[in-house]
Amino acid sequence: MLFFPSMEKVLIKGKNFLGFEIDINENDIKSITKELQIVLASSSHLIKNTIVTLKLNSKNQLFAKDIINFLKERGISINAVVINDKNSINQEDIPPVIELKNTHTVTSKEEHTATYKGNLRNGQSVKANGDLVIVGNVNSNSYIYATGNIFVLGDLYGIPHAGYGGDEHSVVFAFSLHSPQIRIGDFITRSPEEEANTSVKNSKMNEPEVAYIDNNNIVINSYREWIKLKE
Amino acid sequence: MAGKVLTITSGKGGVGKSTSSANISLGLALRGKKVVTIDLDIGLRNLDMILGLENRIVYDVVNIVEKVCKLNQAMIKDKRTDNLYLIAAAQTRDKSAVTAEQIVELTEELKKDFDYIILDSPAGIEGGFKNAMMPADEVIIITTPEISAVRDADRVIGILESNNKTEMSLIINRINPELVKKGDMMSKDDVLQVLNIPLIGVVPEDKNIVSYTNTGEPSILHSQSESGLAYKNIIQRIMGENVPFMEINEKKTGILTSIINFFKE
Repeated sequence: MLFFPSMEKVLIKGKNFLGFEIDINENDIKSITKELQIVLASSSHLIKNTIVTLKLNSKNQLFAKDIINFLKERGISINAVVINDKNSINQEDIPPVIELKNTHTVTSKEEHTATYKGNLRNGQSVKANGDLVIVGNVNSNSYIYATGNIFVLGDLYGIPHAGYGGDEHSVVFAFSLHSPQIRIGDFITRSPEEEANTSVKNSKMNEPEVAYIDNNNIVINSYREWIKLKE
Repeated sequence: MAGKVLTITSGKGGVGKSTSSANISLGLALRGKKVVTIDLDIGLRNLDMILGLENRIVYDVVNIVEKVCKLNQAMIKDKRTDNLYLIAAAQTRDKSAVTAEQIVELTEELKKDFDYIILDSPAGIEGGFKNAMMPADEVIIITTPEISAVRDADRVIGILESNNKTEMSLIINRINPELVKKGDMMSKDDVLQVLNIPLIGVVPEDKNIVSYTNTGEPSILHSQSESGLAYKNIIQRIMGENVPFMEINEKKTGILTSIINFFKE
């Protein structure tokens, strides 16, 4: 779960082919039902009559049956249960079990990744469905758009728009981030005035940086700091 | 003879396209190459003045494509060497007076008799620039170490790349070592990092350029001048010789001044 940290105890996620997945990261049955109630209050109408899977961890899978019944009472029937280890669960009276042994769900969201090799010059632009990787520099006054994340393996002076179309979980990564403006989802931020046109001075002391949305703001953090937040 | 079309362009105006065109044309001619240079800045011609040939213009490039005159009637022979000819721009017309196809046709004709056909492009990225770009075998991009000039050069490089003009080289003009040292001007490496094309020359700022231009004597004729020396190196590189880049340093200070400065600090 590199890009979509689920700090929430209960999370409902859209899945491309599978409808929805209810992801539970809480081990106490009382607080699970409490959280479920809150989440369902706002979204049960969306997931009723669709394919719904239930994702459990090794601890809360003991309550699989309770959770399924709890959801059933509220009109949501679980089509499958997703767990790490099939053998550790009593499979009677519960829907089919999908085993996800040590799988990472990094690619679950991105449709595909587009790669552009070369420098993007002033006035040029690139658009991509899914993630976009640029192997080269992105110069001033060029524009890059991606519905997913943007990774620039070079200097970024142009304007990136990650999560083009509204995905606020997208990030912009660059070896050296100098964009005068960064756009993620529906958010736009611009560089502070005093930092404008720094390309003449102190352009050497760079480290990889990541721009992402935190609390409805675009924040820029060093890659080192950002990756710690993800763990 | 199969000549080569060399287009000199920049995007931004006032960075030294015509000055470089004049120096490169004259320099190649003085090295024994047969050169014809065409001023494509129709409506704002300058190259004739920089070369000191202003008073000899009878016919111009528009007259050639409109077949008002014969090709050799519009070719003005340089007063210093028999190897250099200039085709001047028309002053009473504008860029739309010629098409890119006509310029391609003209350069194809000239390739038979000349080693180098130098095209002095107008500023901008519109029609006039396209006229100069289409016939090019090689393009020399001029920039100064200013962000605006570098960005325009970057734009031009992008357009050239998308037109499959990949033979490009860069001249960084008017670099001032003192300002670079202070961090107020982009250095050669800063410019190269953005533009990322082969460097063919670095020309230091030279306050004499104004008077060279006004008198119609390009700096390549002044062998003692720093800019003249830089253009001489550029000529050698164009001709395929391997010349090391000269170190552009601050004005040399005497030993005594250095010692005084040392104690002042």
